[in-house]
Amino acid sequence: MSDNQKVRFIIERQDSPDSKPYTEEFDVDYRPGLNVVAALMEIQQNPVTVDGKKVAPVVWECNCLEKVCGACMMVINGKARQACCALIDELKQPIRLAPARTFPVVRDLMVDRSVMFESLKKIQGWVEIDGSFDSVDAPRQNPYTAQVAYEISHCMTCGCCLEACPNVGPQSDFIGPAPTVQAYLFNLHPIGKYDAPKRLEALMQKGGITSCGNSQNCVEVCPKSIKLTTYLAQLNRDVNKQALRNIFNV
Amino acid sequence: MNTAFYLRRLHSLAGLVCLGAVLFEHIFTNSMALGGAKALDGALAMMELIPPLIFLALEIGAIGVPLLFHGIYGIYIALEANNNPGRFGYTRNWCFALQRWTAWFLVFFLIWHIGYLRIFEKGMNGTHISYDLLQSLFVGSPITACLYVLGMFAAIFHFCNGITTFCMTWGITKGPRSQKVVSVLSMLLCAGLCLVTLAFMSSYFLMV
Repeated sequence: MSDNQKVRFIIERQDSPDSKPYTEEFDVDYRPGLNVVAALMEIQQNPVTVDGKKVAPVVWECNCLEKVCGACMMVINGKARQACCALIDELKQPIRLAPARTFPVVRDLMVDRSVMFESLKKIQGWVEIDGSFDSVDAPRQNPYTAQVAYEISHCMTCGCCLEACPNVGPQSDFIGPAPTVQAYLFNLHPIGKYDAPKRLEALMQKGGITSCGNSQNCVEVCPKSIKLTTYLAQLNRDVNKQALRNIFNV
Repeated sequence: MNTAFYLRRLHSLAGLVCLGAVLFEHIFTNSMALGGAKALDGALAMMELIPPLIFLALEIGAIGVPLLFHGIYGIYIALEANNNPGRFGYTRNWCFALQRWTAWFLVFFLIWHIGYLRIFEKGMNGTHISYDLLQSLFVGSPITACLYVLGMFAAIFHFCNGITTFCMTWGITKGPRSQKVVSVLSMLLCAGLCLVTLAFMSSYFLMV
């Protein structure tokens, strides 16, 4: 690679939540190991388009830079993924960046993903530990399900699966794969399992697991390789059993 | 009340059980055309052995009501989707989109098919459905024959892909391997039923 090689970025920008999107192109000096977040930092330092126009720096979110926090999720060359681990060497150029429009856009590549937090509240994505009961001797995790729990706990609510899912969006009230599968994580927990019926009931409501259409895009795009479809099928089993318990009142 | 849950599961059952049975009955009876006019008319006469009142009750209860429910609730489901196989071109996502596209085609095809043959010809005109009627319908208008073949293909795919998703929705197939096995088997069934359809539809043209 020559030293003065440039990488072309075509970025979909938007000045405010309600304004119209437009695209701008930027060139960034190539260097080995360059990733999309690092390239965006270069653009931030010198926000000049290929036409030589000085513009406002591109806004995006990032935090951990090691695929753990989920903040830098955006649409890179049409696919929802983490910008911090999107290596320039592995991307087709010009590189197209766009916000994940399944969420409301705040500005440029920054989106408001708080809908996932609201969904986690709906499915009771926590373990109830406040109460009059004794919690000194914490119950042990089941060693047979601990592996699965560990896997699902990797979920960083980045929203890749919601962006890829055809059933998530303004046309539907589906809460999406990530929050749905979190219900299974907390149902596996030795204390959390006491609230399993509550979580399953929440998943049986409108916008719950019944809105899943089995497109299986979620498992394809999950950056943490969580076997989302497997746990969705398990939850389907669980809600069916819950429905039988409800019908026969047991 | 978890209305959403029960409606969705009922939609799944109505499609696989009732409409699946209707589809198989259609393919079975129509494949008799391969044996010529006598065989098909014989199969139709067999159906008429069912007492008319029971036959009508079956038509309404086991076909009409499940079909209307599956169709209307299905439109609601289809409108919930923003098909994106262009962006995410995975096999299952194509099947997901095809499931909805075939559904839209079937809505119009079935209104035409049932409206014309069952309600207009058989119901209002009292026409006796026979090999000769179908042959003159298809050979007289190859476009009609083509639309019928497409309608059958759409229904067969929709049903076979429906087996795969039924198994996921009911938690029968959980892991990727069992889901793959069911999906391959149901696509083989799809190919087989499509071939049978092509065979009996072309027989009308070959046995003029």
